[in-house]
Amino acid sequence: MLNNNRALTLGESQKRFALLMAAPGLVALILLVAGPLLYMFVNSLFVKTLATPVPPRFAFLKNYLELFQNVRFWNAFKNTMVIMVVGIPVQSALGLLMALLLFKKFPGSKVVIALFLIPVMITPVVSGFEWKIILDERFGPINYLISFLGAAPKAWLAKPVLAMISIIIMDTWQWTPFVTVVLLAGLSAIPKQVYEASSVDGSSSWETLWRITMPLLKPMFALVVLLRIIFIFKIFDPVQVLTGGGPGIATETLSVLTYIYGFKNFNVGMTSTLAVIQLIIMVIIAKLFMAIVMKRNAGSTE
Amino acid sequence: MSNIILTNESLLKRARIRRLFSILRFLLIGIFLVSFMFPVFWIAIGAFKVSGEFYSYPPVFWPSSFGFDNFTRAFTVFGGVRGLVDSLVVASANTLLVIGFGMLLAYSMGRFKLGGDDLSFFVLSLLFAPPVIATMPLFMIFKTLKILDTYPVLFVSYILINMPFAVWIMKGFFEDIPHQIENAALLDGYSRLHAFRKYILPLAVPGIAVTALFVFIFSWNEYLFALIFTRSNVQTLTLTLSGMIGGHEIHWGELSALSLVAITPGIILTLFFQKYLVRGLTFGAVKG
Repeated sequence: MLNNNRALTLGESQKRFALLMAAPGLVALILLVAGPLLYMFVNSLFVKTLATPVPPRFAFLKNYLELFQNVRFWNAFKNTMVIMVVGIPVQSALGLLMALLLFKKFPGSKVVIALFLIPVMITPVVSGFEWKIILDERFGPINYLISFLGAAPKAWLAKPVLAMISIIIMDTWQWTPFVTVVLLAGLSAIPKQVYEASSVDGSSSWETLWRITMPLLKPMFALVVLLRIIFIFKIFDPVQVLTGGGPGIATETLSVLTYIYGFKNFNVGMTSTLAVIQLIIMVIIAKLFMAIVMKRNAGSTE
Repeated sequence: MSNIILTNESLLKRARIRRLFSILRFLLIGIFLVSFMFPVFWIAIGAFKVSGEFYSYPPVFWPSSFGFDNFTRAFTVFGGVRGLVDSLVVASANTLLVIGFGMLLAYSMGRFKLGGDDLSFFVLSLLFAPPVIATMPLFMIFKTLKILDTYPVLFVSYILINMPFAVWIMKGFFEDIPHQIENAALLDGYSRLHAFRKYILPLAVPGIAVTALFVFIFSWNEYLFALIFTRSNVQTLTLTLSGMIGGHEIHWGELSALSLVAITPGIILTLFFQKYLVRGLTFGAVKG
Protein backbone atom coordinates (compact mmCIF):
# COMPACT_ATOMS: atom_id res chain seq x y z
CA MET A 1 0.00 0.00 0.00
CA LEU A 2 2.72 2.44 1.03
CA ASN A 3 4.92 1.55 -1.92
CA ASN A 4 2.05 2.16 -4.23
CA ASN A 5 1.56 5.59 -2.76
CA ARG A 6 5.17 6.45 -3.26
CA ALA A 7 5.03 5.34 -6.86
CA LEU A 8 2.08 7.64 -7.44
CA THR A 9 3.66 10.69 -5.85
CA LEU A 10 6.69 10.50 -8.09
CA GLY A 11 6.93 11.92 -11.57
CA GLU A 12 6.66 15.44 -12.90
CA SER A 13 3.61 14.81 -15.08
CA GLN A 14 1.67 13.40 -12.14
CA LYS A 15 2.60 16.39 -10.05
CA ARG A 16 1.39 18.75 -12.72
CA PHE A 17 -1.82 16.78 -13.10
CA ALA A 18 -2.42 16.80 -9.35
CA LEU A 19 -1.85 20.52 -9.14
CA LEU A 20 -4.11 21.22 -12.09
CA MET A 21 -6.93 19.20 -10.56
CA ALA A 22 -6.55 20.95 -7.24
CA ALA A 23 -6.20 24.45 -8.65
CA PRO A 24 -9.79 25.73 -8.73
CA GLY A 25 -10.62 24.61 -5.22
CA LEU A 26 -7.29 25.64 -3.84
CA VAL A 27 -7.45 29.09 -5.39
CA ALA A 28 -10.98 29.63 -4.06
CA LEU A 29 -9.94 28.62 -0.55
CA ILE A 30 -6.77 30.67 -0.55
CA LEU A 31 -8.58 33.75 -1.84
CA LEU A 32 -11.21 33.36 0.84
CA VAL A 33 -8.70 32.72 3.58
CA ALA A 34 -5.41 34.48 2.91
CA GLY A 35 -6.76 37.95 2.20
CA PRO A 36 -9.21 38.07 5.08
CA LEU A 37 -6.67 36.54 7.45
CA LEU A 38 -4.09 39.17 6.66
CA TYR A 39 -6.72 41.87 6.88
CA MET A 40 -7.75 40.54 10.26
CA PHE A 41 -4.21 40.52 11.65
CA VAL A 42 -3.59 44.06 10.45
CA ASN A 43 -6.89 45.30 11.84
CA SER A 44 -6.19 43.74 15.20
CA LEU A 45 -3.29 46.19 15.53
CA PHE A 46 -5.47 49.22 14.89
CA VAL A 47 -7.98 51.18 16.88
CA LYS A 48 -10.71 51.19 14.30
CA THR A 49 -14.48 51.34 14.25
CA LEU A 50 -17.12 51.60 11.57
CA ALA A 51 -19.46 53.44 13.90
CA THR A 52 -17.62 56.75 13.95
CA PRO A 53 -15.81 58.47 11.10
CA VAL A 54 -12.56 58.67 13.12
CA PRO A 55 -9.63 57.46 10.99
CA PRO A 56 -8.02 54.19 12.14
CA ARG A 57 -5.02 54.63 14.42
CA PHE A 58 -2.12 52.21 14.68
CA ALA A 59 -1.98 50.93 18.23
CA PHE A 60 0.24 47.85 18.01
CA LEU A 61 -0.77 45.46 20.81
CA LYS A 62 -3.07 47.85 22.63
CA ASN A 63 -6.19 45.92 21.57
CA TYR A 64 -4.74 42.68 22.90
CA LEU A 65 -3.80 44.23 26.24
CA GLU A 66 -7.20 45.82 26.50
CA LEU A 67 -8.96 42.57 25.66
CA PHE A 68 -7.05 40.65 28.31
CA GLN A 69 -8.23 43.15 30.90
CA ASN A 70 -11.74 43.15 29.56
CA VAL A 71 -14.29 41.55 31.89
CA ARG A 72 -16.62 40.83 29.02
CA PHE A 73 -13.98 38.84 27.15
CA TRP A 74 -13.20 36.70 30.19
CA ASN A 75 -16.90 36.29 30.80
CA ALA A 76 -17.41 34.97 27.26
CA PHE A 77 -14.37 32.76 27.64
CA LYS A 78 -15.67 31.43 30.95
CA ASN A 79 -19.16 30.80 29.52
CA THR A 80 -17.74 28.85 26.59
CA MET A 81 -15.67 26.83 29.05
CA VAL A 82 -18.66 26.23 31.33
CA ILE A 83 -20.68 24.81 28.44
CA MET A 84 -17.78 22.45 27.72
CA VAL A 85 -16.95 21.51 31.28
CA VAL A 86 -20.54 20.88 32.32
CA GLY A 87 -22.02 19.85 29.00
CA ILE A 88 -19.44 17.37 27.73
CA PRO A 89 -19.36 15.10 30.82
CA VAL A 90 -23.16 15.04 30.94
CA GLN A 91 -23.37 14.26 27.24
CA SER A 92 -20.67 11.62 27.53
CA ALA A 93 -22.40 9.90 30.44
CA LEU A 94 -25.84 9.98 28.83
CA GLY A 95 -24.37 9.07 25.45
CA LEU A 96 -22.52 6.11 26.90
CA LEU A 97 -25.57 4.89 28.78
CA MET A 98 -27.65 5.09 25.63
CA ALA A 99 -24.95 3.38 23.56
CA LEU A 100 -24.76 0.49 26.04
CA LEU A 101 -28.55 0.20 26.04
CA LEU A 102 -28.76 0.15 22.26
CA PHE A 103 -25.70 -1.97 21.57
CA LYS A 104 -27.44 -5.32 21.63
CA LYS A 105 -29.76 -5.28 18.64
CA PHE A 106 -33.50 -5.75 19.01
CA PRO A 107 -36.32 -5.58 16.48
CA GLY A 108 -36.58 -1.96 15.42
CA SER A 109 -33.33 -0.86 17.04
CA LYS A 110 -32.21 0.73 13.78
CA VAL A 111 -35.35 2.85 13.68
CA VAL A 112 -34.89 3.84 17.30
CA ILE A 113 -31.33 4.99 16.61
CA ALA A 114 -32.41 6.93 13.53
CA LEU A 115 -35.20 8.71 15.42
CA PHE A 116 -32.91 9.36 18.33
CA LEU A 117 -30.41 11.01 15.95
CA ILE A 118 -32.84 13.57 14.58
CA PRO A 119 -31.75 16.43 16.88
CA VAL A 120 -28.23 16.35 15.43
CA MET A 121 -29.32 17.63 12.05
CA ILE A 122 -32.00 20.08 13.20
CA THR A 123 -31.43 23.61 11.92
CA PRO A 124 -29.61 25.27 14.85
CA VAL A 125 -31.77 28.39 14.59
CA VAL A 126 -34.81 26.19 15.02
CA SER A 127 -33.32 24.46 18.08
CA GLY A 128 -32.89 27.87 19.66
CA PHE A 129 -36.44 28.78 18.85
CA GLU A 130 -38.00 25.52 19.98
CA TRP A 131 -36.27 25.65 23.35
CA LYS A 132 -37.48 29.21 23.70
CA ILE A 133 -41.05 27.93 23.47
CA ILE A 134 -40.44 24.86 25.60
CA LEU A 135 -38.76 26.83 28.39
CA ASP A 136 -41.28 29.67 28.33
CA GLU A 137 -41.98 30.73 31.89
CA ARG A 138 -45.75 30.90 31.68
CA PHE A 139 -46.85 28.66 28.85
CA GLY A 140 -43.93 26.30 28.38
CA PRO A 141 -44.36 22.54 28.84
CA ILE A 142 -41.20 22.21 30.97
CA ASN A 143 -42.52 24.41 33.75
CA TYR A 144 -45.82 22.57 33.49
CA LEU A 145 -44.11 19.18 33.82
CA ILE A 146 -41.90 20.19 36.73
CA SER A 147 -44.96 21.53 38.53
CA PHE A 148 -45.94 17.89 39.05
CA LEU A 149 -42.72 17.46 40.99
CA GLY A 150 -43.79 20.37 43.14
CA ALA A 151 -41.38 22.84 41.60
CA ALA A 152 -42.39 26.45 41.12
CA PRO A 153 -42.28 27.78 37.56
CA LYS A 154 -38.79 28.93 36.66
CA ALA A 155 -37.78 31.97 34.64
CA TRP A 156 -35.36 29.86 32.60
CA LEU A 157 -34.15 32.52 30.23
CA ALA A 158 -34.31 35.50 32.55
CA LYS A 159 -31.99 34.33 35.34
CA PRO A 160 -28.24 34.16 34.58
CA VAL A 161 -27.57 30.70 35.99
CA LEU A 162 -30.79 29.21 34.64
CA ALA A 163 -30.12 30.70 31.21
CA MET A 164 -26.72 29.03 31.20
CA ILE A 165 -28.33 25.76 32.24
CA SER A 166 -30.88 26.18 29.44
CA ILE A 167 -28.11 26.48 26.88
CA ILE A 168 -26.39 23.40 28.23
CA ILE A 169 -29.70 21.50 28.14
CA MET A 170 -30.22 22.55 24.53
CA ASP A 171 -26.69 21.54 23.56
CA THR A 172 -27.08 18.25 25.40
CA TRP A 173 -30.33 17.55 23.61
CA GLN A 174 -28.80 18.27 20.24
CA TRP A 175 -25.50 16.43 20.67
CA THR A 176 -25.95 13.48 23.05
CA PRO A 177 -27.27 11.33 20.18
CA PHE A 178 -24.08 12.09 18.29
CA VAL A 179 -21.99 10.89 21.24
CA THR A 180 -24.13 7.76 21.32
CA VAL A 181 -23.61 6.78 17.70
CA VAL A 182 -19.87 7.38 17.84
CA LEU A 183 -19.61 5.22 20.95
CA LEU A 184 -21.85 2.62 19.29
CA ALA A 185 -19.37 2.49 16.43
CA GLY A 186 -16.64 2.03 19.01
CA LEU A 187 -18.52 -0.72 20.79
CA SER A 188 -19.13 -2.69 17.64
CA ALA A 189 -15.42 -2.49 16.80
CA ILE A 190 -14.51 -4.41 19.96
CA PRO A 191 -13.92 -8.04 18.97
CA LYS A 192 -16.44 -10.56 20.33
CA GLN A 193 -13.63 -12.78 21.61
CA VAL A 194 -12.70 -10.16 24.17
CA TYR A 195 -16.10 -10.50 25.78
CA GLU A 196 -16.10 -14.26 25.54
CA ALA A 197 -12.75 -14.40 27.28
CA SER A 198 -14.02 -12.21 30.04
CA SER A 199 -17.19 -14.24 30.53
CA VAL A 200 -15.10 -17.39 30.81
CA ASP A 201 -13.20 -15.60 33.53
CA GLY A 202 -16.50 -15.30 35.34
CA SER A 203 -16.38 -11.53 35.51
CA SER A 204 -19.69 -9.82 36.12
CA SER A 205 -21.12 -7.51 33.46
CA TRP A 206 -20.22 -4.57 35.63
CA GLU A 207 -16.59 -5.69 35.87
CA THR A 208 -16.48 -6.34 32.15
CA LEU A 209 -17.73 -2.84 31.50
CA TRP A 210 -15.07 -1.16 33.61
CA ARG A 211 -12.14 -3.48 33.01
CA ILE A 212 -12.61 -4.23 29.32
CA THR A 213 -15.18 -2.14 27.50
CA MET A 214 -14.22 1.26 28.88
CA PRO A 215 -10.47 1.01 28.24
CA LEU A 216 -11.14 -0.18 24.70
CA LEU A 217 -13.59 2.68 24.14
CA LYS A 218 -11.02 5.25 25.22
CA PRO A 219 -9.95 6.30 21.70
CA MET A 220 -13.59 6.85 20.71
CA PHE A 221 -14.16 8.87 23.85
CA ALA A 222 -11.13 10.99 23.05
CA LEU A 223 -12.47 11.60 19.56
CA VAL A 224 -15.95 12.48 20.66
CA VAL A 225 -14.76 14.81 23.42
CA LEU A 226 -12.42 16.58 21.04
CA LEU A 227 -15.18 17.02 18.46
CA ARG A 228 -17.53 18.33 21.11
CA ILE A 229 -14.87 20.83 22.21
CA ILE A 230 -14.55 22.00 18.62
CA PHE A 231 -18.31 22.33 18.11
CA ILE A 232 -18.91 24.11 21.41
CA PHE A 233 -15.98 26.40 20.74
CA LYS A 234 -17.82 27.76 17.72
CA ILE A 235 -21.38 27.63 19.05
CA PHE A 236 -23.37 30.61 17.81
CA ASP A 237 -26.76 30.13 16.13
CA PRO A 238 -28.76 28.42 18.87
CA VAL A 239 -27.35 30.66 21.59
CA GLN A 240 -28.00 33.78 19.58
CA VAL A 241 -31.62 32.74 19.05
CA LEU A 242 -32.31 31.34 22.51
CA THR A 243 -30.77 34.03 24.71
CA GLY A 244 -28.87 36.41 22.44
CA GLY A 245 -26.14 36.25 25.09
CA GLY A 246 -28.50 37.47 27.78
CA PRO A 247 -29.76 38.16 30.30
CA GLY A 248 -27.17 40.92 30.27
CA ILE A 249 -23.98 39.15 29.29
CA ALA A 250 -24.71 35.99 31.25
CA THR A 251 -24.66 33.59 28.30
CA GLU A 252 -22.34 35.33 25.89
CA THR A 253 -19.99 32.84 24.25
CA LEU A 254 -16.85 33.79 22.35
CA SER A 255 -18.66 33.62 19.01
CA VAL A 256 -21.61 35.65 20.26
CA LEU A 257 -19.28 38.28 21.72
CA THR A 258 -17.35 38.48 18.45
CA TYR A 259 -20.60 39.04 16.61
CA ILE A 260 -21.68 41.76 19.06
CA TYR A 261 -18.32 43.54 18.89
CA GLY A 262 -18.38 43.30 15.13
CA PHE A 263 -21.92 43.97 14.07
CA LYS A 264 -23.58 45.69 17.02
CA ASN A 265 -20.67 47.92 18.09
CA PHE A 266 -18.88 47.91 14.72
CA ASN A 267 -15.57 47.81 16.53
CA VAL A 268 -13.30 46.45 13.82
CA GLY A 269 -10.11 46.49 15.87
CA MET A 270 -11.45 44.59 18.86
CA THR A 271 -13.39 42.13 16.70
CA SER A 272 -10.24 41.29 14.80
CA THR A 273 -8.27 40.90 18.01
CA LEU A 274 -10.89 38.56 19.39
CA ALA A 275 -10.84 36.64 16.11
CA VAL A 276 -7.05 36.25 16.17
CA ILE A 277 -7.19 34.85 19.69
CA GLN A 278 -9.87 32.33 18.71
CA LEU A 279 -7.84 31.39 15.67
CA ILE A 280 -4.80 30.62 17.82
CA ILE A 281 -6.82 28.49 20.24
CA MET A 282 -8.39 26.67 17.32
CA VAL A 283 -5.07 25.90 15.62
CA ILE A 284 -3.91 24.29 18.86
CA ILE A 285 -7.06 22.18 18.94
CA ALA A 286 -6.59 21.16 15.30
CA LYS A 287 -3.01 20.13 16.05
CA LEU A 288 -4.32 17.98 18.88
CA PHE A 289 -6.90 16.43 16.60
CA MET A 290 -4.25 15.61 14.01
CA ALA A 291 -1.98 14.12 16.66
CA ILE A 292 -4.62 12.03 18.42
CA VAL A 293 -7.09 11.03 15.75
CA MET A 294 -5.37 11.12 12.42
CA LYS A 295 -2.24 9.36 13.60
CA ARG A 296 -4.39 6.56 14.94
CA ASN A 297 -6.25 6.29 11.68
CA ALA A 298 -3.02 6.18 9.75
CA GLY A 299 -1.87 3.36 11.99
CA SER A 300 -4.91 1.21 11.39
CA THR A 301 -5.06 -0.47 8.02
CA GLU A 302 -8.42 -0.55 6.34
CA MET B 1 -14.00 -18.55 40.24
CA SER B 2 -14.43 -20.23 36.91
CA ASN B 3 -15.69 -23.55 38.17
CA ILE B 4 -18.86 -22.57 39.99
CA ILE B 5 -21.52 -25.22 39.48
CA LEU B 6 -24.82 -23.58 38.77
CA THR B 7 -27.75 -25.03 40.61
CA ASN B 8 -31.24 -24.87 39.20
CA GLU B 9 -32.14 -22.24 41.70
CA SER B 10 -29.32 -19.88 40.82
CA LEU B 11 -30.07 -20.38 37.12
CA LEU B 12 -33.64 -19.37 37.76
CA LYS B 13 -32.48 -16.35 39.72
CA ARG B 14 -30.20 -15.35 36.89
CA ALA B 15 -33.02 -15.60 34.37
CA ARG B 16 -35.20 -13.42 36.55
CA ILE B 17 -32.48 -10.80 36.91
CA ARG B 18 -31.94 -10.87 33.20
CA ARG B 19 -35.64 -10.25 32.59
CA LEU B 20 -35.66 -7.41 35.03
CA PHE B 21 -32.68 -5.88 33.25
CA SER B 22 -34.37 -6.27 29.92
CA ILE B 23 -37.47 -4.45 31.16
CA LEU B 24 -35.35 -1.72 32.68
CA ARG B 25 -33.41 -1.44 29.45
CA PHE B 26 -36.44 -0.85 27.28
CA LEU B 27 -37.92 1.47 29.85
CA LEU B 28 -34.79 3.61 29.73
CA ILE B 29 -34.64 3.52 25.94
CA GLY B 30 -38.26 4.64 25.91
CA ILE B 31 -37.60 7.52 28.29
CA PHE B 32 -34.60 8.64 26.27
CA LEU B 33 -36.48 8.46 23.01
CA VAL B 34 -39.48 10.37 24.33
CA SER B 35 -37.34 13.13 25.84
CA PHE B 36 -35.16 13.57 22.77
CA MET B 37 -38.10 13.52 20.39
CA PHE B 38 -40.16 15.87 22.52
CA PRO B 39 -38.82 19.20 21.18
CA VAL B 40 -39.37 18.00 17.62
CA PHE B 41 -42.86 16.83 18.53
CA TRP B 42 -43.54 20.22 20.12
CA ILE B 43 -42.63 22.06 16.93
CA ALA B 44 -44.64 19.66 14.82
CA ILE B 45 -47.82 20.13 16.86
CA GLY B 46 -47.09 23.85 17.19
CA ALA B 47 -47.42 24.11 13.44
CA PHE B 48 -51.07 23.12 13.78
CA LYS B 49 -52.05 25.04 16.90
CA VAL B 50 -54.22 28.11 16.68
CA SER B 51 -52.86 31.24 18.30
CA GLY B 52 -54.80 30.85 21.54
CA GLU B 53 -53.41 27.37 22.10
CA PHE B 54 -49.95 28.85 22.59
CA TYR B 55 -51.23 31.01 25.42
CA SER B 56 -53.06 28.51 27.54
CA TYR B 57 -52.14 26.84 30.76
CA PRO B 58 -51.77 23.91 31.07
CA PRO B 59 -50.06 23.84 27.66
CA VAL B 60 -51.87 22.17 24.78
CA PHE B 61 -50.26 18.81 24.07
CA TRP B 62 -52.55 17.96 21.20
CA PRO B 63 -54.09 20.64 18.96
CA SER B 64 -57.86 20.72 18.64
CA SER B 65 -57.71 20.51 14.86
CA PHE B 66 -55.12 19.94 12.17
CA GLY B 67 -55.50 22.72 9.64
CA PHE B 68 -52.83 24.15 7.39
CA ASP B 69 -53.60 27.80 8.13
CA ASN B 70 -50.26 28.36 9.83
CA PHE B 71 -48.42 27.04 6.80
CA THR B 72 -50.44 29.14 4.42
CA ARG B 73 -49.88 32.32 6.41
CA ALA B 74 -46.21 31.53 7.02
CA PHE B 75 -45.69 31.20 3.29
CA THR B 76 -47.77 34.13 2.12
CA VAL B 77 -47.75 36.74 4.89
CA PHE B 78 -44.42 36.06 6.57
CA GLY B 79 -42.14 35.64 3.57
CA GLY B 80 -41.89 31.87 3.76
CA VAL B 81 -41.95 31.41 0.01
CA ARG B 82 -39.08 33.85 -0.46
CA GLY B 83 -37.14 32.17 2.32
CA LEU B 84 -37.71 28.77 0.79
CA VAL B 85 -36.72 29.87 -2.71
CA ASP B 86 -33.63 31.72 -1.54
CA SER B 87 -32.52 28.86 0.66
CA LEU B 88 -32.97 26.45 -2.24
CA VAL B 89 -31.06 28.68 -4.65
CA VAL B 90 -28.20 29.38 -2.25
CA ALA B 91 -27.87 25.83 -1.00
CA SER B 92 -28.00 24.32 -4.51
CA ALA B 93 -25.51 26.75 -6.02
CA ASN B 94 -23.15 26.37 -3.12
CA THR B 95 -23.38 22.59 -3.26
CA LEU B 96 -22.51 22.59 -6.95
CA LEU B 97 -19.54 24.91 -6.45
CA VAL B 98 -18.22 23.12 -3.40
CA ILE B 99 -18.60 19.62 -4.80
CA GLY B 100 -17.27 20.59 -8.23
CA PHE B 101 -14.11 22.24 -6.96
CA GLY B 102 -13.80 20.18 -3.83
CA MET B 103 -13.98 16.83 -5.61
CA LEU B 104 -10.92 17.59 -7.71
CA LEU B 105 -8.98 19.01 -4.80
CA ALA B 106 -9.92 16.04 -2.64
CA TYR B 107 -8.82 13.57 -5.33
CA SER B 108 -5.56 15.39 -5.73
CA MET B 109 -4.91 15.38 -1.99
CA GLY B 110 -6.13 11.86 -1.41
CA ARG B 111 -4.34 10.24 -4.31
CA PHE B 112 -1.21 12.24 -4.92
CA LYS B 113 -0.76 13.55 -1.38
CA LEU B 114 -0.71 17.02 -2.86
CA GLY B 115 0.53 19.48 -0.27
CA GLY B 116 1.17 16.62 2.14
CA ASP B 117 0.39 17.02 5.81
CA ASP B 118 0.59 20.80 5.59
CA LEU B 119 -2.32 21.15 3.20
CA SER B 120 -4.29 18.58 5.19
CA PHE B 121 -3.68 20.58 8.32
CA PHE B 122 -4.72 23.77 6.58
CA VAL B 123 -8.01 22.23 5.48
CA LEU B 124 -8.62 20.73 8.89
CA SER B 125 -7.94 24.06 10.60
CA LEU B 126 -10.50 25.75 8.37
CA LEU B 127 -12.94 23.01 9.21
CA PHE B 128 -12.50 23.61 12.94
CA ALA B 129 -12.34 27.41 12.86
CA PRO B 130 -15.34 29.29 14.24
CA PRO B 131 -16.95 30.91 11.18
CA VAL B 132 -17.51 34.09 13.17
CA ILE B 133 -13.83 35.00 12.97
CA ALA B 134 -14.08 35.38 9.21
CA THR B 135 -17.13 37.63 9.27
CA MET B 136 -15.51 41.01 9.84
CA PRO B 137 -12.79 40.85 7.20
CA LEU B 138 -15.17 39.25 4.68
CA PHE B 139 -17.80 41.87 5.43
CA MET B 140 -15.32 44.68 4.68
CA ILE B 141 -14.17 42.98 1.50
CA PHE B 142 -17.70 42.27 0.27
CA LYS B 143 -18.66 45.82 1.10
CA THR B 144 -15.82 47.14 -1.02
CA LEU B 145 -16.83 44.80 -3.83
CA LYS B 146 -20.42 46.01 -3.40
CA ILE B 147 -21.84 42.50 -3.35
CA LEU B 148 -23.45 42.58 0.11
CA ASP B 149 -27.06 41.44 0.10
CA THR B 150 -26.84 39.56 -3.20
CA TYR B 151 -26.89 35.87 -4.08
CA PRO B 152 -23.20 35.73 -5.03
CA VAL B 153 -22.12 36.87 -1.57
CA LEU B 154 -23.61 33.72 -0.08
CA PHE B 155 -22.51 31.46 -2.95
CA VAL B 156 -18.96 32.59 -2.33
CA SER B 157 -18.84 32.90 1.44
CA TYR B 158 -20.44 29.50 1.97
CA ILE B 159 -17.50 27.98 0.14
CA LEU B 160 -15.47 28.88 3.20
CA ILE B 161 -17.93 27.06 5.43
CA ASN B 162 -18.40 23.95 3.33
CA MET B 163 -15.36 23.37 1.17
CA PRO B 164 -13.04 22.25 4.00
CA PHE B 165 -15.65 19.74 5.12
CA ALA B 166 -16.35 18.47 1.61
CA VAL B 167 -12.67 18.14 0.74
CA TRP B 168 -11.85 16.39 3.97
CA ILE B 169 -14.65 13.86 3.64
CA MET B 170 -14.23 13.19 -0.08
CA LYS B 171 -10.48 12.79 0.40
CA GLY B 172 -11.35 9.90 2.68
CA PHE B 173 -13.68 8.38 0.11
CA PHE B 174 -11.03 8.58 -2.60
CA GLU B 175 -8.47 7.04 -0.28
CA ASP B 176 -10.80 4.09 0.19
CA ILE B 177 -10.65 3.26 -3.51
CA PRO B 178 -7.81 0.81 -4.20
CA HIS B 179 -4.89 2.22 -6.17
CA GLN B 180 -4.84 -0.85 -8.35
CA ILE B 181 -7.88 0.34 -10.26
CA GLU B 182 -6.14 3.46 -11.46
CA ASN B 183 -2.88 1.72 -12.05
CA ALA B 184 -4.62 -0.82 -14.24
CA ALA B 185 -6.25 1.93 -16.27
CA LEU B 186 -2.93 3.70 -16.66
CA LEU B 187 -1.25 0.49 -17.76
CA ASP B 188 -3.98 0.12 -20.36
CA GLY B 189 -2.75 3.38 -21.79
CA TYR B 190 -5.48 5.73 -20.57
CA SER B 191 -4.61 9.24 -19.52
CA ARG B 192 -4.85 10.22 -15.85
CA LEU B 193 -7.87 12.39 -16.52
CA HIS B 194 -9.56 9.57 -18.36
CA ALA B 195 -8.72 7.14 -15.56
CA PHE B 196 -10.24 9.55 -13.08
CA ARG B 197 -13.40 10.14 -15.08
CA LYS B 198 -14.08 6.64 -16.27
CA TYR B 199 -12.79 4.49 -13.43
CA ILE B 200 -12.49 6.44 -10.20
CA LEU B 201 -15.45 8.80 -10.37
CA PRO B 202 -18.09 6.09 -10.83
CA LEU B 203 -16.75 4.32 -7.74
CA ALA B 204 -16.72 7.55 -5.77
CA VAL B 205 -20.24 8.61 -6.71
CA PRO B 206 -21.97 7.30 -3.58
CA GLY B 207 -19.48 9.10 -1.36
CA ILE B 208 -19.70 12.29 -3.38
CA ALA B 209 -23.49 12.19 -3.34
CA VAL B 210 -23.59 11.84 0.42
CA THR B 211 -21.09 14.67 0.81
CA ALA B 212 -23.26 16.81 -1.46
CA LEU B 213 -26.25 16.09 0.76
CA PHE B 214 -24.33 17.20 3.81
CA VAL B 215 -23.13 20.36 2.12
CA PHE B 216 -26.65 21.12 1.02
CA ILE B 217 -27.98 20.76 4.56
CA PHE B 218 -25.15 22.78 6.07
CA SER B 219 -25.87 25.62 3.62
CA TRP B 220 -29.58 25.24 4.23
CA ASN B 221 -29.08 25.46 8.00
CA GLU B 222 -26.54 28.28 7.89
CA TYR B 223 -27.44 31.40 9.81
CA LEU B 224 -24.45 33.53 10.79
CA PHE B 225 -23.19 34.53 7.33
CA ALA B 226 -26.72 35.08 6.08
CA LEU B 227 -27.38 37.31 9.07
CA ILE B 228 -24.34 39.46 8.39
CA PHE B 229 -23.96 39.47 4.62
CA THR B 230 -27.59 39.73 3.52
CA ARG B 231 -30.60 41.73 4.58
CA SER B 232 -33.55 42.34 2.27
CA ASN B 233 -32.72 41.41 -1.33
CA VAL B 234 -31.74 37.93 -0.28
CA GLN B 235 -33.36 36.25 2.65
CA THR B 236 -32.82 32.59 3.38
CA LEU B 237 -35.15 30.56 5.54
CA THR B 238 -33.05 30.85 8.71
CA LEU B 239 -33.12 34.62 8.36
CA THR B 240 -36.89 34.62 7.80
CA LEU B 241 -37.26 32.53 10.96
CA SER B 242 -35.06 34.72 13.13
CA GLY B 243 -36.86 37.76 11.78
CA MET B 244 -40.13 36.29 13.02
CA ILE B 245 -38.69 35.90 16.52
CA GLY B 246 -37.29 39.40 16.63
CA GLY B 247 -40.57 41.24 16.08
CA HIS B 248 -42.89 42.80 18.65
CA GLU B 249 -45.40 40.04 18.54
CA ILE B 250 -44.19 36.51 17.93
CA HIS B 251 -46.50 34.47 15.71
CA TRP B 252 -45.72 31.11 17.22
CA GLY B 253 -47.95 29.07 14.95
CA GLU B 254 -46.52 30.40 11.70
CA LEU B 255 -43.03 30.23 13.18
CA SER B 256 -43.53 26.58 14.08
CA ALA B 257 -44.92 25.79 10.65
CA LEU B 258 -41.96 27.36 8.89
CA SER B 259 -39.56 25.70 11.33
CA LEU B 260 -41.06 22.36 10.46
CA VAL B 261 -40.37 23.07 6.80
CA ALA B 262 -36.83 24.18 7.63
CA ILE B 263 -35.90 21.02 9.55
CA THR B 264 -37.36 18.58 7.04
CA PRO B 265 -34.25 18.16 4.83
CA GLY B 266 -32.08 17.49 7.87
CA ILE B 267 -34.53 14.92 9.18
CA ILE B 268 -34.63 13.16 5.82
CA LEU B 269 -30.84 13.01 5.76
CA THR B 270 -30.83 11.56 9.27
CA LEU B 271 -33.44 8.92 8.60
CA PHE B 272 -32.16 7.70 5.26
CA PHE B 273 -28.43 8.26 5.40
CA GLN B 274 -27.79 7.42 9.02
CA LYS B 275 -24.91 5.20 8.03
CA TYR B 276 -23.00 8.16 6.64
CA LEU B 277 -24.04 10.58 9.35
CA VAL B 278 -21.43 9.32 11.78
CA ARG B 279 -18.71 9.47 9.18
CA GLY B 280 -19.69 12.98 8.16
CA LEU B 281 -20.01 14.39 11.63
CA THR B 282 -16.76 12.90 12.84
CA PHE B 283 -15.06 14.30 9.75
CA GLY B 284 -14.27 10.83 8.51
CA ALA B 285 -12.58 9.69 11.72
CA VAL B 286 -15.24 7.01 12.19
CA LYS B 287 -15.98 5.09 9.03
CA GLY B 288 -19.38 3.99 10.40
